[in-house]
Amino acid sequence: MKMNPELQLAQENMQPGIITLQGFLGHDKRDLSQIIDEDNQLVKSLTTTHLKIAAQMKFLRGQGECGLGEFIEYGEHFQIRVDSVRGKMRCPFEDPGLIPKYNITVKNLALNREITYTDMNIHFIEIHGFYQGEGSLFRLNPDDLVIILEIESTGDNAHRFDVPTE
Amino acid sequence: MIEIVIAIAICCAITVSLTLIILLAEVTIGNYGECIISINDGARELKIDGGQTLLACLNEAEIYIPSACGGKGSCGLCTLQVTRGAGDYLPTELPWISEERRKENYRLACQIKVKNDLEIIIPESCFLVREVTAEVVAITDLTHDIKEVRLKLPVDSDIVFKAGQFMQIKTPKYKLCDEPVYRAYSISSSPDDETGLEFMIRLVPNGICTTYVHQFLNVGDMVTVNGAHGEFFLQDSERDIICIAGGSGMAPIMSILLDMRYRGIKRKVTYFFGAMTKRDLFYLDELKQLEKDLDDFTFIPALSQPKPEDNWQGETGLITEVIERNMTDGSNSEAYLCGSPGMINACVNVLTGKKVPEDQIYYDKFG
Repeated sequence: MKMNPELQLAQENMQPGIITLQGFLGHDKRDLSQIIDEDNQLVKSLTTTHLKIAAQMKFLRGQGECGLGEFIEYGEHFQIRVDSVRGKMRCPFEDPGLIPKYNITVKNLALNREITYTDMNIHFIEIHGFYQGEGSLFRLNPDDLVIILEIESTGDNAHRFDVPTE
Repeated sequence: MIEIVIAIAICCAITVSLTLIILLAEVTIGNYGECIISINDGARELKIDGGQTLLACLNEAEIYIPSACGGKGSCGLCTLQVTRGAGDYLPTELPWISEERRKENYRLACQIKVKNDLEIIIPESCFLVREVTAEVVAITDLTHDIKEVRLKLPVDSDIVFKAGQFMQIKTPKYKLCDEPVYRAYSISSSPDDETGLEFMIRLVPNGICTTYVHQFLNVGDMVTVNGAHGEFFLQDSERDIICIAGGSGMAPIMSILLDMRYRGIKRKVTYFFGAMTKRDLFYLDELKQLEKDLDDFTFIPALSQPKPEDNWQGETGLITEVIERNMTDGSNSEAYLCGSPGMINACVNVLTGKKVPEDQIYYDKFG
């Protein structure tokens, strides 16, 4: 993918102090297009898709909402909390509307690992295949998402990331 | 050869000319000169150098309008009326100002740049807001992710607040932020405690202020706070009181309960507190004591998923289920809720189902 005017504008919007104090790119010096391209390759190598990752993030968010702001158990080894902080943010890609500031924390007790993501993360991944730049506070590594959220592979090696049952 | 030299000279001349034009533009176009902000029909006037945001100008004049996003237009808290001089609405303001409020000239103070004289209207209570720097005298772990912070106010502090209101805590520049930022937290102590302020602060993953409080703030440090702000406080009525809040949402409720004890208010109060397991409960001894001290107070903690080792004998289930089971007719009640929008919405549904009038449900929505 090449940097087009839309991506150029998004990259400018992602700088610190424009939409958020820290911005969305961390210390990453790559072009936005390169960041997206490289994460896209990584997601492909994990034999899944951005849509599938976003769908699982949304699904677990939905389960966690039942906890009314506190942690709630889901399934045999997930604990999820959907919490919010005051406010809403506009998307740096200039998509219409505002995105509420919700934090979703998912603990995978079987792996003893947890991950926190936001509604903005879900939007970024679902619509733009963007996981934020290296060093950004809310950067999500696709492989962490796939493992902790137990996202099934789309290829022949489905269930590759199933949690060990021992 | 001469042609090359001429070409270079022309290029240099163009570059120098453009630079001069830009410098001239910065001095003239970007300079709005002195502007006057007239507040509340001339009750107070500020003379400021134009070019800054309205929010920054007011802060410099020690008029503190609440803002929880560092002036990025993403919290919508800093709304006020600008009756003259603000120009058209900016796209960044529109999502925060309803059609009705636009007719009354409400604007986002952080988005308006002061380029000419303005006339604004702010609540009189804004003039009572004070900023002080106070010493941290205690930091206590209430749960695995909630800390209680106590600040000792300076002797000459004239901060006054109503139980239920919030303060803004200033987080200094540190590894997560390059500039100081303010975040809003409810006061958990009683207004009659004139020597200090207490807060219950839950760690938000990657949150600028909560990370600072949980990982960097120490006893003995100085912290700047301003307030009090907010419209969430006990109404003057004879109605029964229902309180619902889990986690750090307990802060304003605790302040209200302590204030009721201090003022000898004898109204019936029931407090529903939701948590997942026993380790998420806190302040149980203090609330038991309040049950003894207040005339008619019942504290109902409920665990949604108690562990076997919790040996929990109390209420179980989501807080909405517990309210459903424990509440009868709410038509003579008013309710105070503090928590996430999802929790507030679910509780409002249950309360209205119990006939609590919707206009008697007060809440401090985190979202």
